[in-house]
Amino acid sequence: MKLALVLIAAGIATSARPMPPPDAAADAERATDLNVNSRYTIESIGFLDERNYKLSTSALEEMRRLIGAKLNTEALNLLVERVRAELRAHDVTFRLARGGEPESVKVLLEVDQGAGKVDVSIPRFGYYSGEGWTAAAEATASIGPNSLSFRALKDNDSSIEQMAGIQTKYTRQLGDRVRLAFEFDAYHDQYDAATLAALAPGSAAPSSLGAGAYSSRLNFEPSASFVLAKPLTLTVGFSFEQLQPELPAASSEAANAVINTLRYHQRWSSSDATAQELDAGYSLRAATKLLGMGLAYTRHAVNARYLYKHDRQSVEVTVLAGVIYGQAPLFERFSLGDSTALRGWNKYDLDPLGGNRLAYGSVTYGYRILRVFYDAGSVWDQGTTPEAKQSAGIGVSSGLGILEKGAFLLAVAFPLRQGRADPVLIAGMNF
Amino acid sequence: MTVGRTRAKQLAARCLLTALVAYDLFALGVSTPELAVRSSADELHVSAPRLHFLTGKSLQRLHDGAAVPFDFQLSLAAGTHNNVVAQALERFIVSYDVWEEKFSVVRLRDFRKSGSHLSANAAEAWCLDNIFASKANLPANQQLWARLEIRSAEQKELAAISQDSGISLTALIEVFSRPTRPQQEHWALESAPFRLADLKP
Repeated sequence: MKLALVLIAAGIATSARPMPPPDAAADAERATDLNVNSRYTIESIGFLDERNYKLSTSALEEMRRLIGAKLNTEALNLLVERVRAELRAHDVTFRLARGGEPESVKVLLEVDQGAGKVDVSIPRFGYYSGEGWTAAAEATASIGPNSLSFRALKDNDSSIEQMAGIQTKYTRQLGDRVRLAFEFDAYHDQYDAATLAALAPGSAAPSSLGAGAYSSRLNFEPSASFVLAKPLTLTVGFSFEQLQPELPAASSEAANAVINTLRYHQRWSSSDATAQELDAGYSLRAATKLLGMGLAYTRHAVNARYLYKHDRQSVEVTVLAGVIYGQAPLFERFSLGDSTALRGWNKYDLDPLGGNRLAYGSVTYGYRILRVFYDAGSVWDQGTTPEAKQSAGIGVSSGLGILEKGAFLLAVAFPLRQGRADPVLIAGMNF
Repeated sequence: MTVGRTRAKQLAARCLLTALVAYDLFALGVSTPELAVRSSADELHVSAPRLHFLTGKSLQRLHDGAAVPFDFQLSLAAGTHNNVVAQALERFIVSYDVWEEKFSVVRLRDFRKSGSHLSANAAEAWCLDNIFASKANLPANQQLWARLEIRSAEQKELAAISQDSGISLTALIEVFSRPTRPQQEHWALESAPFRLADLKP
């Protein structure tokens, strides 16, 4: 044989077997990580583009586990592969940067979405007895910094109106700090019998109600979001809403508003077992009469959610408050008694037309997937006396608060009132 | 007048020829890095001062804190370029300390063999110092050529090739039997012909 392959690299045998080192124990230790940075402690893990990617609870848990530990390239590669699979990204790589403390490093994940991708998800699928099913299916196509999403939804849960329709949204990312968005929504509206009865002629509908029942609603909403100082973001824009009355002869109403939302979202992990999260926001919608037409009102709403998690236990506190001045339409009015707030109560029993004042608080304790919660709050109209309502419940969930991707919830909630206890079943999933 | 014009043409032609030769020599020197071979006891070592493989995409990955594997193949041919009579294969894992801003290298075959706190040039030289071929089976009086090939590898390939207590040699042979991928960085350089007897220690 002319090509004589002789392998002579310092005693390497021409065998397919691995070459055993003389001191296997010492080498096994060295082999755990060949990266010189493995002696440093991971201070934080985040995304290079500072976007809020939707990840499963278990992926977030994995991130939290790695924080505070020594850098382990193999574990980090597994996390990167998992993130890539969940985001359906073309590629995900990690970068290391010096941490704030000596001997610590920050891990920054870089997501390459590739030339283009289409993602289909069901961000919401839930059941609340007394209200029925709520579901949303979403398809998002992304090409570079542009993304176009299309969502079909049926929502009996989040508002007094029961709507079914579509939401289309185009977004364009400009650098790391600015995102432009144009949204168009079209809904067909229906109402609970209690709401229709409250709106019927002769009933005492509040004077703060800006429009009666409408059969459909169109919304065009251009907006821009700015990262003021991470993690504080500000969204400003306009919302042009057209409400088509149920009676064909009646003229349509307009609700044209300037919208502003200030949002703060931060996660901390002080150790391997302890994590904290704060999500807070303030939104202002100010509608004015454009050319003498339309409704005029101002809606202020604040929300805050704080989560503390240690080992298998967790505590979550949620606070909501809101006030509306002027005459706002039904879709803007506040309500309680759904799958996320004052669980166990029926919102149509509390106030079939919603209110223009809101105060609400909730505490959830979790152990592993078990959840126990207590809710209290009130929704009322200005000039009337607020009546505090309470509820409690128990269930199982793989996430907390707003359902994260891959999380599920199954719970039974009881309105706390004298006389009788009517349990309400809540089921939800995000996948 | 005619004589003067002819001399001017000759001068111009000579200048052009000289420039072309100088360009060729310069181009040859720049584009083919020199692979020098030296003898050390029973081994043949190589050095290539002009070769820099810690560059481009690999260097960027290193600065980002990743460990980058580099596969080395040193071949020795006797008589003709195709008659390979000896071959050495190694995988080196290079990483860059984000705090100290220095390179570290580990020879995967033998984890205890490593270099740390190195500059980029020193890390490259360390790799070359740690791949060598035995002189035992080399013909003493035949003309020899040394060829060094280097390929960067993905971090993900590390697990496929590395095993619990070492490195699979078969896997490394397979690496070099495949053509390089379009995105893969690779370098190849060859020595001038030499005879074993003529090598200086």
